[in-house]
Amino acid sequence: MATLKDYRGDLSTWCPGCGHFSVMAGIQKALINLGYEPHEVAIITGIGCSSKLSEYTRTYGFHTIHGRSLPVAQGVKMANPNLKVIAAGGDGDGYGIGLGHFVHAVRRNIDMTYVAMDNNIYGLTKGQTSPRSAHNFVTKTTLKGNKEYPVDPLSTAIANGGTFVAQAFSGDIKTMTEILEKALQHKGFALVNIFSPCVTYNKVNTYDYYKDNLVNIDAPLATREEAIKVVKEHDGLVQGVIYQEERDDFQTKLGIDWKILDVKTGEMDEALLRQTEAMFK
Amino acid sequence: MQVLESIEWKVGGQQGEGVDSTGEIFTKTLFRYGYSVTTYKQFMSRIKGGHTNFKMRATKKRTRYAGDMLDILLCLDKETLEVNKHELRNGGIAILEDKEIHIGEQEHFLLAAFPLKQYATELGNPLAKNMIALGISGALISLPKEEFFTFIEEQFAKKGDEVINSNKAAVEKGYALVDEYLSDYVKVLDKIEKTDRLYISGNEATAFGSFMAGCRYLSAYPITPASEIMEWMAAQLPKVGGTVMQVEDEIAGITFALGAAYAGARAMTSTSGPGLSLKTEALGLAGISETPIVIVNSQRGGPSTGLPTKHEQSDLQHMLWGAHGEIPRIVLYPSSIEDAFYIAAEAFNLAETYQCPVIIALDLALSMNRTTVPPIDAKRVKVTRGKLISEEEAKAYGEFIFHRYRFTEDGISPRVLPGTEGGVHTASSNEHGENGYITEDPAIRSRMMQKRMEKIKTASLQNPFYVENGDADVILVGMGSTRGIIEEVAELLAKEGVRVGQLFIQQLHPLPVDKLEPYLVGKKVISIENNYNSQLLNWIKQHLPIHKSAQSITQYDGNPFTVSRVYKEVKELI
Repeated sequence: MATLKDYRGDLSTWCPGCGHFSVMAGIQKALINLGYEPHEVAIITGIGCSSKLSEYTRTYGFHTIHGRSLPVAQGVKMANPNLKVIAAGGDGDGYGIGLGHFVHAVRRNIDMTYVAMDNNIYGLTKGQTSPRSAHNFVTKTTLKGNKEYPVDPLSTAIANGGTFVAQAFSGDIKTMTEILEKALQHKGFALVNIFSPCVTYNKVNTYDYYKDNLVNIDAPLATREEAIKVVKEHDGLVQGVIYQEERDDFQTKLGIDWKILDVKTGEMDEALLRQTEAMFK
Repeated sequence: MQVLESIEWKVGGQQGEGVDSTGEIFTKTLFRYGYSVTTYKQFMSRIKGGHTNFKMRATKKRTRYAGDMLDILLCLDKETLEVNKHELRNGGIAILEDKEIHIGEQEHFLLAAFPLKQYATELGNPLAKNMIALGISGALISLPKEEFFTFIEEQFAKKGDEVINSNKAAVEKGYALVDEYLSDYVKVLDKIEKTDRLYISGNEATAFGSFMAGCRYLSAYPITPASEIMEWMAAQLPKVGGTVMQVEDEIAGITFALGAAYAGARAMTSTSGPGLSLKTEALGLAGISETPIVIVNSQRGGPSTGLPTKHEQSDLQHMLWGAHGEIPRIVLYPSSIEDAFYIAAEAFNLAETYQCPVIIALDLALSMNRTTVPPIDAKRVKVTRGKLISEEEAKAYGEFIFHRYRFTEDGISPRVLPGTEGGVHTASSNEHGENGYITEDPAIRSRMMQKRMEKIKTASLQNPFYVENGDADVILVGMGSTRGIIEEVAELLAKEGVRVGQLFIQQLHPLPVDKLEPYLVGKKVISIENNYNSQLLNWIKQHLPIHKSAQSITQYDGNPFTVSRVYKEVKELI
């Protein structure tokens, strides 16, 4: 059985105290607890501090481009349904430049886990506002405060047919790991938004802020309407699996006898060629 | 009666009037009769209304161009007559749908108008008016009407006997009309021996070639003129365990495919210019991460939305250079529909062998129009996967982190697929060391650049170009669908005793410079291309010293060249 040592990748460059350390530890722990070996897992990330997860965790991985972890990850899963696929990235990556993909990934429901490491700020570019920054949040690019309102990923996912919608906090490793394990076991698209404080650029959404404000949701809400209501009531500051529904995942629904990786080398299959050619006569 | 060796025919009307299907039926009927056919569809970016037409040329000898002229023009409305009558040859016939019968000689052709809709209504099927027009067309060239009947039986099999019979009656009505009113104008299309051939478009041939090469995954976003590729694959792939995914946008089109390719699929995406623009960042990702992927770019009139349903060859620079930073890439451009099949199949071999993106360029004229091609040679392209290694081979390296980007003699690193024990690694868009991890070390960076950029130097198609009369002093150079036009210009010149060479480049990057040199350097080079900047000529000029002896003929009005225009301009230049 794999141990934490087996999952150790490149040396991290995250700031001391960064929330991402705990998120990474939680993902590795959850995979170990569920019995996965590193070669059975593919972690696909976008660009940003958190997206370096695919380099720092020793599994198969693809450190892609900004905002595109979800489409690449879905492509990986489509080609090889046997892989445990995790997409990960930050709030800018997932809810800013990649938001379009997020909504479609939710409604498509491919069997994979999406871990959004949400610190409400752009870290790697050194402290600009993010699509998750609060209204009136002051940054280098919103000097008089952010006049936009933040994206609500949980309600968005629930409203668009999400089958597993959860939120965790990197300051509560135990709960976060439990949630991640549930997400990894969910057959379908599982969203885990994880509050992962940026200790360098965000002096508002700190560890203490989340400790003081997060409300535990002990069990998934029964309906989408109730789930969204609860998220809204607490201004998004909830922890737990908010909504879950069993539904056939995308690949199961397509009902295809998957042979995408079955590429035969050598001469073309002449019988298939002639049979197909007939449609052009 | 005059015997015809070929026929040029066109049907036109308002979009949504069945122009396309009428054209298809007549063309396929002549194809099955044994003739070689070429087609060209004119249409607008709307579903209903607006003039649209379908041109067909049937010849005994195979050609790659639908021709400049017309023998018969079927006008389902008056606009069709006005827009197209100048193409009619002297002695040609225009058939017009009108309220009443009137037949008379016009400036250089015969105009015969019939109330087709009224006849069709009388036959109990108003939809069959186009079938009457087809009957007229068939009768004017003495085509046995049974040739239509077999087609009708097949086409309407699902709709039942009533529909079949009313369509047959409509065809017979057309024959009867010619018998009654136009018998003096009837000619005979010569009989021809039937041979085994295919009737296929460039999009279909590209999809078919990809399918036979083992492509089992295509993700794309609908766009004219490339959509038929994904539509064809959507129907075929599930039968062999694969799938098409119509994804949310163009960026997803390429990035889904990149994920599938990383996981080991032969994966592709299909698009047109606007889509390629959106995919360009991900193209760079394929380059630096050394992920094999095939991208089809069926060009249309640009820039921006440009002329979305018109023909152009103006994305060359984008395909050759588009990216920030520098990446290895292979750019291919079939010069015929037949070549599109083989080049698509080869593209997957090249992508996996050289671990880089391969772009297949098409153009609207090549993509959307069907022609006659010989049956596919199943032996010509064999599937090869390059340095893809097994679990045993991966384990033999004994590495905790598999060195996916290890330096090798030829610059190509052994590749292992996710799921393989002993091969765990990360592919990366960041500059990386041999183990895939981020590095900014100047020495490693330089070496990685050299590895990537140089590894494709040996890449070669089976036919990187075609050359005819390569020793002639004048050489006409083209790419994609201009081949058919250039071939006919050269033939016309040859009849006058003027011998010109022809060169059709299919491998644009890496350009086979050494092989091209003897045909271009020291010659009078004339490139013939559908863009403003002479992009093909400029690309050649970057590699070969032909600056003082090279000229170009360009056209960027949304339409393909005509033979007559190119012939005239070539004569002026030589």
